[in-house]
Amino acid sequence: MTTTEPQSTKYAGKPQPGIDDPSLLTGSSTYMDDITVPRMIEGAVLRSPVAHARITRIDVSKARELPGVFDVITGNDLVEIAGEQPVIWYPIPEQRIARAHALATDTVRWVGQGVAAVAAVDRYVAEDALELIEVDYEPLPVVADLEQALAPDAPKLYEDWPDNVSGSMTLTAGDADAAFAEADVVVGASFRHHPGYGCPIETRGCISNWDVFSGRLDVWLGTQSPNLARELFAQVLSLPVSKIRVRTPEIGGGFGLKFDFYPEGVIAAILSRRSKRPVKLLEDRQESFVASSRSRDMRHDFEMALRSDGTILGLRGTAYGVLGGALGTVGAGPPWASVLTSMGPYKIPNQELTLKAVMTNRSPYGSYRGWGVPKGNIVHERLIELAARKLGMSRIELRRMNFPAPDEFPYFSGAAFTFDSGRYADCLDLATSAVEERGWNELQREGREAGRSIGIGYGFHIEPGAYGPSRVLNMVGLDHSGFDEVYVRMDSAGKVTVLSGQISTGQGTHTTYAQLVAEGLGVPIEDVTVVTGDTESCPYTGYGTGGSRAATLGGAAIVNATGRLKAKILRIGAELLEADPEDLELDNGRVSVRGAADSSVSTADIGYSAYRMLNGRLPESETPTLEEVDVFDPANMTTSYACTALLVEVDRQTGAVKLLDCLQAHDAGVIINPLLADGQLAGGLAQAFGGGLFEEFVYDDDGQIRTASFMDYLIPSATDIPPFHFYHQETPAPHIPGGMKGLGEAGTIAGVSVVGSAIDDALSDLGVTVCEFPMTPPRLLELIRAAQSGEATT
Amino acid sequence: MSDKHTITVTVNGHVYTDDCEARMTLADFLRRQCGLTGTHLGCEHGVCGACTVFLDDVAVRSCLTFAVQADGARIKTVEGLAEGDELNTLQKSFQENHGLQCGFCTPGMLMCATELLRENPNPTETEVREGISGVLCRCTGYDGIVRSVMAAADSRRDGVSESGSIS
Repeated sequence: MTTTEPQSTKYAGKPQPGIDDPSLLTGSSTYMDDITVPRMIEGAVLRSPVAHARITRIDVSKARELPGVFDVITGNDLVEIAGEQPVIWYPIPEQRIARAHALATDTVRWVGQGVAAVAAVDRYVAEDALELIEVDYEPLPVVADLEQALAPDAPKLYEDWPDNVSGSMTLTAGDADAAFAEADVVVGASFRHHPGYGCPIETRGCISNWDVFSGRLDVWLGTQSPNLARELFAQVLSLPVSKIRVRTPEIGGGFGLKFDFYPEGVIAAILSRRSKRPVKLLEDRQESFVASSRSRDMRHDFEMALRSDGTILGLRGTAYGVLGGALGTVGAGPPWASVLTSMGPYKIPNQELTLKAVMTNRSPYGSYRGWGVPKGNIVHERLIELAARKLGMSRIELRRMNFPAPDEFPYFSGAAFTFDSGRYADCLDLATSAVEERGWNELQREGREAGRSIGIGYGFHIEPGAYGPSRVLNMVGLDHSGFDEVYVRMDSAGKVTVLSGQISTGQGTHTTYAQLVAEGLGVPIEDVTVVTGDTESCPYTGYGTGGSRAATLGGAAIVNATGRLKAKILRIGAELLEADPEDLELDNGRVSVRGAADSSVSTADIGYSAYRMLNGRLPESETPTLEEVDVFDPANMTTSYACTALLVEVDRQTGAVKLLDCLQAHDAGVIINPLLADGQLAGGLAQAFGGGLFEEFVYDDDGQIRTASFMDYLIPSATDIPPFHFYHQETPAPHIPGGMKGLGEAGTIAGVSVVGSAIDDALSDLGVTVCEFPMTPPRLLELIRAAQSGEATT
Repeated sequence: MSDKHTITVTVNGHVYTDDCEARMTLADFLRRQCGLTGTHLGCEHGVCGACTVFLDDVAVRSCLTFAVQADGARIKTVEGLAEGDELNTLQKSFQENHGLQCGFCTPGMLMCATELLRENPNPTETEVREGISGVLCRCTGYDGIVRSVMAAADSRRDGVSESGSIS
């Protein structure tokens, strides 16, 4: 359902199935591990079994002697060629940046840090060789978690630092102290989101071919950011960007995890250079838990001040980002974003928001869909419900009265972001009426009468998308840009090819781009081919495919480019038809005089005139070919939003939470493809429910991860996830041609706090407050027992 | 580790004979020796289900099966589902109902759903969720997949599909 007027479109806004689906459904598509290149050999990485130690000896001689082994390298071999792994985000002024090489040289600082690598005839032999490498470790004191890292007598990860704090910063708006002093009500809590990760079902991988004779590095890489990867390979390996080619195959899920630039690409490149063979290096599932970006891991100690009438006066607190033993590609970026979004959709005039980024002996922190915002959402959504309870107000009405009104947009949040447009109260109403319509309130009443603990959770979220204006991103600490570039080309046969620096990880980039081109030009969608994933032929994109950029920025560039290309096609058509371009229309691949369909030419005629038979057909004023390039650097980011509602049942005996039903009223501006949009929302919510209830990297006191398999790290299956119902309203993004806002991260942002809201509601008679995620059965049982024995939980 | 065994398997109607070490998994044999890369590996410890194939008509995890165990067997993989140049009913339904995003779990999901519909042609939504719960999808939230399997059952029941072929 939509609250905007239906537009007369042929492709845009329509539920077009994925154009890549047939090959994905038949096993004929090509993912990373499906690629074999001539002369290829395979690698494997030996990883540290301990969290903090000095390497006193490595002996690789036995591994080298194993038949089938081509090369074995250690950190000392690697540093002869490669520099340190790059960091691109520096949001905290004067932050201490702990960098590491792709393989450890003298000290390991997390379980799973690479210490040596092998290239062999195949992966089986490479893993045999790993077992023959001898390493002696001299144990160092382990900083296993945040609390240990912050303790006054804590062992230090870096001896020359005063403590384990990498950096801290405070953002302020108004006067928070004064606001809290004059408040009638203050609510606060310590919120903890434990670590988890993006966990695409396809793990990461690459094939590196570094040919010293041509000086070229040719890489197949399962990445969301091929242009960024090329830049960073150049930086780390001291190669010219022009000598590096990065191609991406089909990507089996990315979720931000495959945005980051990992050691394995560099390790494979070094192995290739030395062995003079292309080297494939894949991460297996067990490795992924220690080698792919760890995410979410944060604590937020925050409080909110309100007047007795419900007006929010202030927000203040400290957020702790639990960084690892070295910084990952995005540094403290996600924890920073959690702080920037901690006020959410509410007008809060006085803010004092502190971020502390803290090093621990855990794997490096990195990107995961939502990128910090899910934890900002926990802060504002949990606090507003605590406030509603304390004030005795409706949690719906308290939200509504603190929203900016539609005419207050663009609305400055108080910390960095300016929200572009919004009808927040309408969206809230859409959700609450859907809850009523679906009979949840009645279900809850009946359930409770029957002794069941049924709860309804609510959450309102904002999603910053279309990251972002390049110069602003530079100013806040990004060593990269945010623009996007696209080529739209009609060929000599009148068919269209779009080339983009974005890539598709299943979210439907190719399909939505084809829809926009078909709509913008007036050609059948079957005539559009989308090409991505090759830095040698595709244009440059700032950043990569992350930050909800693909539909917004790539889409905007396509809208611009197709507009100009269509004008040229019509001018050529006018020459052929001896008509005025103003009188022409382009529909279904034919240019015709409006109202006189018999007077027409096809796009094939136009293509022939622009590429081959120019004489007498192409106007003298036109250059040959049919190609438009557009570079789009947005003036502002987009802010989409939604109200999510979740129906749950809690089993008070076991602490298990059953998700019964879920709905979301969503506004991401103009929707290109409702089928794919709903798929993004549902998939994101399912991931968040995993993070809210099941998924956790559990560490012991030695910094060992106890959950390094799918037997222990539980991602939701079909029986864990409820049905979904989506309701849309469309408030266009004012500065994005096409009006689209980002939506790929909506579900992950919305879905964690709403689990807490629903559980609280199911146990409202006990006064339980969920502040910790995942809320596993043992944790919930503990809350229930504490509440039953009369211990207040807030 | 040079103890090689010669095995013969019939995959999607084609006979393959090749040598392999005793430790080679069926998944690796299919992918490396037969060139059938449609069968995917997501965990290699039997949980994610992406590698599900039919071994003598029964769905198995090919990452937990050694190739030598399959000697003489009839195997069906995702590459064997389409009918000539056309997607089969279940595949079409997955496309129409957005039952896939990245496509990585999809081969396992299709094999699992094929077996489910063969054993229970008229499943309820709950039965579909239970039936596919052994294959993990990280993209879709299962909504589109459940819809796809239900719709495939409907269209076969309604005779919309000429061949009615699910397996």
